[in-house]
Amino acid sequence: MTAAAMVVLALAATGFGYRLVAGPSLTDRMLGIDGLLVVGVSALAVRSMQTGEGAFLPVAVVATLVGFVGTGIVARFIEGAGQ
Amino acid sequence: MTGSVLALAGAVLTLLAAVGVVRFPDVLARMHALTKASTLGTVLVLVGAAITLDHPNDVTSLLLAAALQVLTLPVGANLLSRATYRAGQEARSGLTGDSQDGVV
Repeated sequence: MTAAAMVVLALAATGFGYRLVAGPSLTDRMLGIDGLLVVGVSALAVRSMQTGEGAFLPVAVVATLVGFVGTGIVARFIEGAGQ
Repeated sequence: MTGSVLALAGAVLTLLAAVGVVRFPDVLARMHALTKASTLGTVLVLVGAAITLDHPNDVTSLLLAAALQVLTLPVGANLLSRATYRAGQEARSGLTGDSQDGVV
């Protein structure tokens, strides 16, 4: 079951990666990065279920916070670039 | 067992978000697909892992990460969509009506 979840997450990462490369706007690329970050946090949790080892789980907390700060900064940049 | 089912359901929701991000026609529609589906999807995965794992440290980290996802993903998407709307006309090209004109 968890292996199937990993495969599904890999497919989702492919879709987000396509949007990150293809664009066309800067907002689209940021969507791709956000999606890849969500996939990464989910994959970390699924992997900890497979191994029963939770040593990497604080990384999920940190990645969430860093991703939010990055999204906010890019949003400010996009807003400034349009004016 | 319950945790595995929750993790698989969350992964499928994340895949649906990816399908929306790839196929939807304009920026704001793609952002809508990503934010709604992936918020619930990642929370399902994290809660499923919290059910499966035993150690209190692991459960605390997972639940904290889930709470932070719920708090930050919608706020980040709101910031990004407002910036996109303000920055240019191309974000509004797919709209049939613009109720935010002069408001945002």
